[in-house]
Amino acid sequence: MFGHNFKYTFKVLMRNRMLLFWTFVFPLVLGTMFKLAFSNIENSEKLNVIPIAIVDNEDFQGNEAFRRTFETLSDESSDEQMFDTVYVSKDEADTLLSDGDVDGVLYMNGAEPEIWIHENGINQTVLQYVVDEIVHTSAIMEKRVQNELEQGAMPDIEGLYKNVMEQVAGRKSNLVDASRANMSYTMIEYYTLIAMACLYGGILGMTALSRNLPNMGNLGKRTAIVPISKAKTMFSSLLAAYCTQLIGLAILFVYTIFVMKVDYGENLPYVILLALAGSLAGLTLAIMVTTVVKTGENGKLGILIGITMACCFLSGMMGITMKYIIEKHVPFLDKINPASMITDGYYALYYYGVDKRFWMDVASLGIFSAFMLLVSAQGLRRQKYDSI
Amino acid sequence: MSAVVEVKNLTKEYKQKKAVDDLSFEIRQGEILGLLGPNGSGKSTTINCILSLLKYSAGSIKIFGEEMTPDAYKIKRDIGVIFQEVAVFEELTVYENIDYFCGLYVKDKQERKKDIEDAIALVGLDEFRKYYPKQLSGGLLRRLNIACGIAHKPKLIFLDEPTVAVDPQSRNNILDGIRKLRDDGATICYTTHYMEEVEILCDRIIILDRGKIIAQGTSDELKALAKIEEKVTIETKHFKPEFLEKLQAAPNVDKAEYAGHQLVITYKSGKNNVAKLIEELSAAGITCNKIFSERPTLNDVFLELTGKELRD
Repeated sequence: MFGHNFKYTFKVLMRNRMLLFWTFVFPLVLGTMFKLAFSNIENSEKLNVIPIAIVDNEDFQGNEAFRRTFETLSDESSDEQMFDTVYVSKDEADTLLSDGDVDGVLYMNGAEPEIWIHENGINQTVLQYVVDEIVHTSAIMEKRVQNELEQGAMPDIEGLYKNVMEQVAGRKSNLVDASRANMSYTMIEYYTLIAMACLYGGILGMTALSRNLPNMGNLGKRTAIVPISKAKTMFSSLLAAYCTQLIGLAILFVYTIFVMKVDYGENLPYVILLALAGSLAGLTLAIMVTTVVKTGENGKLGILIGITMACCFLSGMMGITMKYIIEKHVPFLDKINPASMITDGYYALYYYGVDKRFWMDVASLGIFSAFMLLVSAQGLRRQKYDSI
Repeated sequence: MSAVVEVKNLTKEYKQKKAVDDLSFEIRQGEILGLLGPNGSGKSTTINCILSLLKYSAGSIKIFGEEMTPDAYKIKRDIGVIFQEVAVFEELTVYENIDYFCGLYVKDKQERKKDIEDAIALVGLDEFRKYYPKQLSGGLLRRLNIACGIAHKPKLIFLDEPTVAVDPQSRNNILDGIRKLRDDGATICYTTHYMEEVEILCDRIIILDRGKIIAQGTSDELKALAKIEEKVTIETKHFKPEFLEKLQAAPNVDKAEYAGHQLVITYKSGKNNVAKLIEELSAAGITCNKIFSERPTLNDVFLELTGKELRD
């Protein structure tokens, strides 16, 4: 019975044109549009040097990593000059930003770098990326020093410190290339696109599940009277939905890799693992909405699509700066947003490889899925069908 | 005949309104029981309670001698249900739809194949087996709905208004199919608000109104509840209104009315009422275009018991 229900649910989902459009075709269309839109932006921006201001305070002067990196990246004699930097006071920086003379301001507040911007755009994204890179590389080196101290060795502090400078400054070419060509819009957009496809796949789960619940329509009533446990029919239906969802993701990956030439890095098994975890999160989100929300099938579908789009928006799909704003000002929201977990996982994988940050994202998606299932189980248990 | 379904004191309340009010009845082995009542009388709610699709407020339900619960899979294996609304997959063909639902009851593929063929033959969908539901007419869709519900050869079948919005050809096909199912040994509970259908199809009839049983018995037993014996309808354009009083005063006449060139006279009893009436009309110089005489219908019974028409 399990296989029989699985086979027919899979057949039903694969033949539903509307579902296939939203879960299979729509991400491809959106990806193609990103490619067309953002490649033009990047090409036009590529030769420009970005005007920025740095607040020249004690904190900045005391931070060797930031000071030296920005000096290098602002070198007018270099072919790879990235920034046109002016060093000013806090008030002057504010005025320059308000007048539109600079695209962004770097302000070191103690050890914490702050970026002030007036509007979202590619230049602001590049500045944010460079700052992130410096913070990240510095943190790695600091940890190395700490490890050596814990192991009882006397680290060559001066040597390591020098190493940090070389690492950050030495990656100038990489920064220029990575921040503009890869990190900028396109890669983040592709990551959020995958996140959206993962979460959108939940629509398949919602459709499959609806046909097992008597309060969701006639098919649900008919399925509710068969001599099979509800758990068995639900599980086989959801498994079929998950498999259909993975086929859609596989098509998306093939399309972006071979047609749009997107480079996901060298960790393909981990790219797939993250997609599996993301899809599971999308599926469980749909199960939760289906079982807990008390409205008709169309209403539930609307709510699911709304949540998905909101998650993608907050993770930077419609403007990457949003991702940074949320990370900085509402970090809790970023932590519970499955789309952010997916995009952050891919980001981590691409730039830092399979490290703690990646596994944290995978684990977060697992915890999110488990929580959704727990809430759904409670919702199902409470359903009495007083009225169908 | 032993009882296949026993319903005792069933009550279902929605907030403060009683949709089903202290209902007790049984469905006997091998019979077609008709549940007749207007829309909102509680027919579908009763069926949903019997099937454990709805929680009920009070009462007990036994099927095949055992208490019916949502987990009573042994009982469910022998039940077939055809709901009022068509419940099939738009994405599957006629054959696949029947195979899917039958497969949830019958594991063996060979046995299932035979069951599907029998169901297709029963509802007359042989030439449409590769069609998708959206390619079928309303009547054919209803037939597919029935095939999906009975393909696994259940011993007890619930049909909830299966002929709503169906063309005459499909309706006859459906009614023939239901008789065939009964002849093959199934016990059937048939709900409808079409009194003609229960009259020609059902062995016993229960009439429901506002969640209560207002009468039950065979068609003849129920008709005996109506106070009238015969209803005569005459189409005439030359009626003289003053003659109406004379008719109303005639022996055995219950009521006489004239409207829209139609004279309707109901008789409480008596024999040769039509012959006597024609004689009197001829004597008064009134010519008749058409004359119909009929026995009381279940609608007359319903009217007698509730003061309203079945289709109100």
